[in-house]
Amino acid sequence: MLTRRRFVTASAIAGAGLAAGCAARKNSAWEFLSEKDARTLTAICDQIIPADDFPSASQAGVLTYVDRQLVRHFQRFQKAYIKGLNHANLLSRKRFSLDLAEATPQQKLQIVSAIEQQNPEFFELVRSHTLQGYYGSPRHGGNREGVSWRMLGLSEPPIRGSAQYDLASGSRP
Amino acid sequence: MKRWLIICGFAICSVTLLAVGVTQGASLYYAAGHGAACADCHEMAEYASAVHSSPHDNATCTDCHQASLFTRLRHIQVHLAGSAPETIRLREVDVRQMIANCKSCHEHEYASWRAGPHSATYTEIFADPAHISKRGLMDDCFRCHGMYFDGAIRDLVQPQNTRGPWHLSHPELAGQPTIPCQACHWIHREGPPETKPPARISVAGPIVPQSLGFFDRREGMHFAAATLAIPTLYDGPRQLKASPDQRQAICYQCHAPRLPEANSTAAANHWGPQAGSGDDRTPMGVHEGLSCFSCHNSHNESARASCATCHPEMSHCGLDVEKMDTTYANPASKHNIHWVKCTDCHQHGLPRVKCVVTVAAR
Amino acid sequence: MKRVNAVVIGAGAGGGIVAKELSMAGLSVVLLERGKWYTPYDCRKDDLRNQRTAVLGNAFGPEDHGNPRVWVDPAGAEHIALPSDGIYQNNAACVGGGTFSYGAMAWRYLPQDFRMKSTYGRPEGSSLEDWPIGYDDLEPFYEKAEYEIGISGDYSGTPFHGPRRRPLPMPPLPPNREFEILEPAAKRLGLHPFHIPMARNAVPYNGRGSCMRCRWCVGFACEVDAKNGSQNTVIPTALSTGNCELRTKCMVKEILTDNGGSARGVAYFDADGHLQEQPSDIVVVSACAIESARLLLNSKSRLFPNGMGNRYDQVGRNLQGHHYTGAVGYFDFDTYDDIGPGASIAVTDYNHGTPGLCGGGLLANEFIRLPIQMIDRMPSDTPRWGLGHKRAMRDFYKRNIVVMGPTQQIPAADARVTLDSTVRDKWGLPVARISGNVHPHTFEIGKKQADRAAAWLKETGAVSISRFAGKGVLVSAGQHQAGTCRMGDDPRSSVVNKQCQIHDVDNVFVIDSSVHVTNGGFNPALTIMAIAYYASEALLRNWKGTQFRS
Repeated sequence: MLTRRRFVTASAIAGAGLAAGCAARKNSAWEFLSEKDARTLTAICDQIIPADDFPSASQAGVLTYVDRQLVRHFQRFQKAYIKGLNHANLLSRKRFSLDLAEATPQQKLQIVSAIEQQNPEFFELVRSHTLQGYYGSPRHGGNREGVSWRMLGLSEPPIRGSAQYDLASGSRP
Repeated sequence: MKRWLIICGFAICSVTLLAVGVTQGASLYYAAGHGAACADCHEMAEYASAVHSSPHDNATCTDCHQASLFTRLRHIQVHLAGSAPETIRLREVDVRQMIANCKSCHEHEYASWRAGPHSATYTEIFADPAHISKRGLMDDCFRCHGMYFDGAIRDLVQPQNTRGPWHLSHPELAGQPTIPCQACHWIHREGPPETKPPARISVAGPIVPQSLGFFDRREGMHFAAATLAIPTLYDGPRQLKASPDQRQAICYQCHAPRLPEANSTAAANHWGPQAGSGDDRTPMGVHEGLSCFSCHNSHNESARASCATCHPEMSHCGLDVEKMDTTYANPASKHNIHWVKCTDCHQHGLPRVKCVVTVAAR
Repeated sequence: MKRVNAVVIGAGAGGGIVAKELSMAGLSVVLLERGKWYTPYDCRKDDLRNQRTAVLGNAFGPEDHGNPRVWVDPAGAEHIALPSDGIYQNNAACVGGGTFSYGAMAWRYLPQDFRMKSTYGRPEGSSLEDWPIGYDDLEPFYEKAEYEIGISGDYSGTPFHGPRRRPLPMPPLPPNREFEILEPAAKRLGLHPFHIPMARNAVPYNGRGSCMRCRWCVGFACEVDAKNGSQNTVIPTALSTGNCELRTKCMVKEILTDNGGSARGVAYFDADGHLQEQPSDIVVVSACAIESARLLLNSKSRLFPNGMGNRYDQVGRNLQGHHYTGAVGYFDFDTYDDIGPGASIAVTDYNHGTPGLCGGGLLANEFIRLPIQMIDRMPSDTPRWGLGHKRAMRDFYKRNIVVMGPTQQIPAADARVTLDSTVRDKWGLPVARISGNVHPHTFEIGKKQADRAAAWLKETGAVSISRFAGKGVLVSAGQHQAGTCRMGDDPRSSVVNKQCQIHDVDNVFVIDSSVHVTNGGFNPALTIMAIAYYASEALLRNWKGTQFRS
């Protein structure tokens, strides 16, 4: 599997020219996740934060957040993710003979509840990362355009005027 | 000797050819896929796809992002070295270079901006003794001036005190604008082409254009004007009538009120944020309820001509408003045009009978 | 390298003040700081990468790479902790130290806080002790800190504070909505609510403007420079004397000793990783409780085989911080007004005087909360995920008040910092190993404090309340860490004397929270600052020309 990050490194090592390098196609739109991983993770994240009047986790970009950090600050969780996502599909196939991404919303909910019971460590990891991505700063890829802050009624950026003081005298001009 | 010349000439030619070829090659490559190929490697798919559903759809990337030769060579160098970053963003210098490209299509808006105070330069904002000695230097200055500057305030101006004399650590920025087009315009924003706002005065204002967005330096992204807040303001204890024109939200990001401060009358009386505090210019008095855009053109904030859209027809007292003692007639007047009230002059109450003096038609 | 009069290790609350006081008195000073001199641009108010929410790392140091610690769980198993893990007990690594990004509460301890053993007796199994100095000794220096650093607030609403000669130099910021909701309820309960003293400009002070009341305070650098720490007050003053040189990104390896048992300087790794020696007449250790202890333990020599000042195995013991407990009240009306810094009202009625309890702590409302800080503070019947959680975020984000406080910990000798025998940091130095917990009586006090917070919120009209008073698996000593180089008269039970001088080394001083015998029921910053002024004055009294004599 050639994801974007691995691809950039590979092309640099091979010393491939600019045109030749960029013309090659990667297999995944993600930096770490494969397309299949991404579909499975979407299914889980969107149970943790489903859509209502406001977007679901994946609609708000939570996958971008998790995917980017898996090759950055969350590198140490790479294995846990791969194992956890495989386990999620295993559960789904055993119970419904379907990959998790293909299951119905009802079935997805059942599987995610099962993950919470059977694989709590992985569930807590995904839960905390999902909430971080959804409610955290948009610069990291989640909370697209600050949508969760708007949902909570926060004005962003807040309106704050600058001080009108004469600092030399400490008084208002 | 002749042979040496030939070799030399050949070498010069090939280096030039290589340089031109490589630079143009990159540009062509860039342009060819409408940026799509670039987005394969760089974290920019969102931008590339958004621009296709924006009013700038028929522009190619390089129409706006035409970088200098030096920048292009740098791009080639980092690509060959394999050190091209995945997440690319505009540096201050890239933003500046784009302004010229904006100008090539939006000449009128450019000229208007250039003539107004929103094109203030780094020197005018960050090395003006009258200003800094009073207000001090802080990172928050960049919220509204130099929002694309790559660094902290101490990287731009020294010394960091209120005594000076100050100098810019980046002399190349001296004459450059601190509020570029991209401060308020979100070029990649999806949406239909902007329609010209109606010329007549409007309190409600038109629907806010999609491409209007405030660049928030902290997040490194624009927030759409449609989602920005308009503050609820007070004149003493009384809540002000506010125009619902959502376009103003972008003005309020910088022309913002302060919360009541320690030792202030407003704080002592538990009043809300006061109109006219901080950098706020929300109209009170005779102009209460008007939108910023009722009087101000968005690119050049000069509002002098706009009076004629309402006056003299709408003069309450039949006097020539342009000759009254306000900052319109005299910038030193204590009656700021934003919050001049009838009672500023009629301190004992308004005349019961409306004046019938007619101002001669101009 | 040219010999200097003093090397000060750590440019935080303590070290910054010592550097300023010594350099103003004409001593040549080198101020060594392991971190950088950051700016607000290094964080840009990142909700996920700051000094309080560090899920993507700390904004103001130390970085996750190469700075591990080891912690020991109650079963005795060892674990590696990274600086962005909560259990690491991080404060900061930067110029300004914790004061660069703190919430900036600036409390004086109460007179009883310096006499805990005399007031309450020593609970069995604890190491509760009196300070060898009292509130009266520190009062002039508290005042000096309040005026030089710049503190706003108003103590007039409460009788529960030590005697003071002058009021605070600045009035408090105008009250926010939480203040206005909590104040009448506290008064109905017979409490004495008042404005929290804060190292934050409420009016222009020291040539800088006042707080703009934004959402990003505790954990962040101030973009209007209205939050006062050592980086924008005493350190610039020290540098402007021309006698003080600040060297950043310099990690001190050890304090070097001569054959007579005195320090002759320090060995440190400079910004490029090269080992340097800086000779000096005196050495001041101000690296915060965990790192100060680690440095002394790492400073082994023939005369000090177990580390400097550690003849009686006291260095690193009595590690303490604060046991934070309290309650969240949920309301059926909006309590949130988006006005920072948020924390505004406190009561100190519960710091002392409850029969059967050794002390207590202040209770105050919490700093303004970013959404990310709310995700696990929902009413107890809220689902942890799914639509229920999302709706609860929406329903309660603007409708909750947190009242909590730093319960004074009852110290225990085996809550301690030692050196790990195998794990090394990026410079190859043995890392801190943290083990043990505070005395269990602390948790009884904490539980009582949570009940009191809940009672206050109930009186305020909260429709539901959840308490938090959990007992940690490890001593809780993060940003408020203290106690590892205890001040005392007896060398067998303490590390430094009243002047913060190491008992058996005349020219080495520890001037930071490490010397706190007990840590009060208050945020410790102002006390660290007061002690730094107090110890600097004592040091300068004993300074003879170019030599130090005790």
